[in-house]
Amino acid sequence: MAKTPSLLKIFVMLALVAAGAVLLLPPPASAQEEVASSIRRYKDREASTGYYEEYEVRPRRAKPLVGVPGVEAGIFNYSPTAAKVRNRSHLADSHMGIAFYKEKTCQTCHPEQAKDIHIVRANLTCRQCHGGEPIASIPYFKSPMNPIRRHAYVCAKCHEGSSASFASYIVHEPAPGSVAARKGFPTLYYAYWFMLVLLVGTLAFFIPHSFLVGLRELFNKKRTTNDDAADAH
Amino acid sequence: MTLPTRIKRFSVLDRLSHIFLMLTFLLQTATGFSRLYITTVWGKKVNAFFGGYDTSLLIHEWTGMVMMAGFVLHTIYLLTRIDWRTPVKSIFGPDSLVPNLTDAKQFGQRIRWFFGLGPLPGFNRWAYWEKFDYWAVYWGLPLLAVTGFMLMYPLSTSRFLPGWSLNIAALLHRAEAILAVTYIFIVHFFIGHLRPSSFPMNEAMFSGSVPMEEALEEKSAWVKRLQEEGKLESASSAAPSLWYRRLYFMFGYAALIFGVYMLINGIIYSRQISLH
Repeated sequence: MAKTPSLLKIFVMLALVAAGAVLLLPPPASAQEEVASSIRRYKDREASTGYYEEYEVRPRRAKPLVGVPGVEAGIFNYSPTAAKVRNRSHLADSHMGIAFYKEKTCQTCHPEQAKDIHIVRANLTCRQCHGGEPIASIPYFKSPMNPIRRHAYVCAKCHEGSSASFASYIVHEPAPGSVAARKGFPTLYYAYWFMLVLLVGTLAFFIPHSFLVGLRELFNKKRTTNDDAADAH
Repeated sequence: MTLPTRIKRFSVLDRLSHIFLMLTFLLQTATGFSRLYITTVWGKKVNAFFGGYDTSLLIHEWTGMVMMAGFVLHTIYLLTRIDWRTPVKSIFGPDSLVPNLTDAKQFGQRIRWFFGLGPLPGFNRWAYWEKFDYWAVYWGLPLLAVTGFMLMYPLSTSRFLPGWSLNIAALLHRAEAILAVTYIFIVHFFIGHLRPSSFPMNEAMFSGSVPMEEALEEKSAWVKRLQEEGKLESASSAAPSLWYRRLYFMFGYAALIFGVYMLINGIIYSRQISLH
């Protein structure tokens, strides 16, 4: 008995076909848009809110917009000396006015920044990411390193399709057990100490434990052997 | 009643799983260390053996996926081993690897035994350090797998997690790998090879059976339980043949030498690498 398909069935089939068509589309490109929100956004995943003023090229705030949670950036966090350095953070040429600048290499002043995986393993030079002179301060709003566009202008040179979230990877990672890490990257700091305590704790327990077992068995074996020898005589 | 001369301790599947884990673990150690130590002379040498920085990573990734498949299959196998009619009794029973209060008690007794203050406790099928060995691998594998997948697909990961989670993943992957390697190549090798009752090699994991005198000495509660349950006769096992013993001695010693080589070079060159 032939039965005409119900309207609901047709709808379901059409919906399935539409869903299949959506799956066939290429994924949205994540590196093409600039992010200017203080909330970390996954642009390629979210529907539009309609609040387009968040996406202007010029950031509305001075501080880096894609940050690491738990990092404090209060008003009085800096000493007067540090504030001088801090004041360099919005310059078009961040090294402006430094004495004998031409005679210096990057590592003269930034030795710690030359120790991470990008440099040691991938053999990158500073200029490959930070660009030629003048090197703008990172939060300077036209800097390619500004977190609103770093993912597209810097990271995407090698990491094709990198997003703003991806660009929040900390390239110049502090030494994970250091005070600097506790202040600047607490999750890394606590993960490091947790794993170190686990490693040292496990070995500090099991090495003496196994050694004592071995020692005890050695003496036990010796005694049995001696007993055997005594029996034989 | 006469006791059988040897009793069965590990099934064929247990032993195959152990060999699978040995091979994949050693390969992961070699390829992983070759990349961790790439800035040192030794690291470059090992890395060249595996075809360079990128190829060694490819081997590492695929081996990792094979390991993960093994982990999933093993977990399914575990679920089939639970007696679902009495799950609580089965999970916390003497045949289970789940730690219980008896382990804590026996640990205290064994510490007293170390110093000659008491007799050796009668261990059941799994002693507390064997349970620790098992669970160390069982939680280490998924941790390494999850962090490994995050590092394999950093762009996809950063869609669901912030990008700085990759810093954490890299740290956890390295730290857990170093923990696993040092634990296996120091503690596990010592227990399996060097301690007087095992020396030169504890064969149980390869032959699948243990001599009765060894079982009575180390696992007296287990033998007693088998006897009470009337399973001792069926657990009786034949001694492994000579060619098979030769084979697994060579295999075991190859793994031992390889592991110790990795460990010693890792310690020697550890001063020359930085972890950030």
